[in-house]
Amino acid sequence: MIFQKISAPHKTETAAPVWEPYEIRPDEVETVVGPSVNVEGDFASEGNIVVKGSVAGSVHTSKHLSVEVGARIMANVRAGSAKVAGEVRGNLRLKESLELTASARVVGDIEAKILVVEAGALIFGKVAMPGIEGIEVKGGKAKALPSRKAENAPPPAV
Amino acid sequence: MYVYLYDQFLRQRQYAAVARAIEISLTDYGITGKILRLNNFIDVKPLIDDEVKRGAKTVVIVGNDKTFGAVLSRSATCPVTFGFLPIGPGNTIAGVLGIPVGGGAADVLSRRRKERLDIGWVNSRYFVSQLRVPPARVEVFYDDRFKASANDLLEVVVCNLQPFVWRRHGRVPKSEVVHPQDGKLEAFLRPLTKRRWFGYRYEEPSIFPFTEMMIRGREPFVVAADGKITKEREVTIKLARAQVEMIVGRDRKF
Repeated sequence: MIFQKISAPHKTETAAPVWEPYEIRPDEVETVVGPSVNVEGDFASEGNIVVKGSVAGSVHTSKHLSVEVGARIMANVRAGSAKVAGEVRGNLRLKESLELTASARVVGDIEAKILVVEAGALIFGKVAMPGIEGIEVKGGKAKALPSRKAENAPPPAV
Repeated sequence: MYVYLYDQFLRQRQYAAVARAIEISLTDYGITGKILRLNNFIDVKPLIDDEVKRGAKTVVIVGNDKTFGAVLSRSATCPVTFGFLPIGPGNTIAGVLGIPVGGGAADVLSRRRKERLDIGWVNSRYFVSQLRVPPARVEVFYDDRFKASANDLLEVVVCNLQPFVWRRHGRVPKSEVVHPQDGKLEAFLRPLTKRRWFGYRYEEPSIFPFTEMMIRGREPFVVAADGKITKEREVTIKLARAQVEMIVGRDRKF
C-alpha cells in the first residue's frame, strides 16, 4: 500500500477562469494622468496607465488601466485589464478582467472576460462576456440556443 | 588616445586634491591623455572635431552635471566615445550612469564598458540631462495624437539622463529615474493651482513617455535645456535614438 502509485485525479469539469486582483508596482507604471490635468484625443500607451485627472477622446492600452477615485474618462476604452474607481462615460472593451469598486460609475457597454463588481458600483449599459455566445433575444426575453454539438449529435437510440 | 575636458571650476583649490588623485589613478591604468581646460568662451564642438582629426578616440568630461550637459549638447554628433569623471557637488547623472564621484571614477573609465544612449533634440540642438519649462500657460501635444493641458499654470520637465526629483507636501522628496535606452523620453507635467489666498501649490506630477512632443503657449515662455535658457512660443522635442556612445559603470540604473 505504501508503494502504491498515486494516480492523478481526473478532471471532470473545465476550469473556470481564475481572477486575481491586479496590483501595479510603482516601477511598472508608465503613464500617469495626474489630478488637474486634462487629456484630449487618442490617448494610447504601450504600458500601464493610471488616470487621476480627466480624459476625453479614446483610451487604448494593451496592459492595465487604473481609473482612480475622482478621475473622469469621457471616452471609449480598450485595455488588457482595468480597475475602475472613478467615472467612465463610454464603452469598455477589455481582453481580460474588469474590476469595479464601490465608487465606480460606468455609463456605457462593458465587454470583459471576467467582471468583478463591488457593492455600490453603478452601471448603466449592456454587459457582454465571451463564453455564452448564441443568445437569441426575442420579445425582450433572452433564450439560449442549443449548442452546435447537440444539434449534430445522432438521435438517441430507442 | 584620450582627451580630458576639465571644467573651469576645477581650478579652485578645494578640488585640486581630488583632481590629482584621479590623475594618479589614470597614470596607473595607463589611460592618461591631453588635458584641455574649458571656459565660458570655448566652443566645444570644433575643439573635439580638431582632436578627432588628431586621432582622439575617447573624450572624457571632468566636472559635474552642468559640464556634462554643456559638452554633450554641442558635441553629441562627434564620432567619439565619451567618458565622465564626476567631481564636486551637483552630480546626479553620475549615479544613473553608475560612476562613483571622485577617485573611483577612473576605475570605471579603465574598464571601458560602453553603451549607446538616447538623447533629446529640441529646436535644432541636443539636450542630454534635462529640459525644464517653469510654470506657464502652455499646452502639450504628444505625437500628434493627444493634447494635455491644465486649468492654470503647468510646469513641464523632460528628463533624459538627469532624474526628476520633486518635493511632496510635507513628505520626503521623491525622485523618478528614467531609462536612457528605452527609445522614449519621459515628460513630467506638474500643474500649479491657486489655493485661496495662500498662493500656489504643485499637484502630483503626470508622467507621459513620448518620442515627439510639442509645447505651445499663447505667450512666450522660458525653456531651460542643459543650463541654456531661451524664450520660445513653440518648442518641438524629439528623441535621437542611440546617438551617444558612453562609458558606463556596472552599477548603472538602466
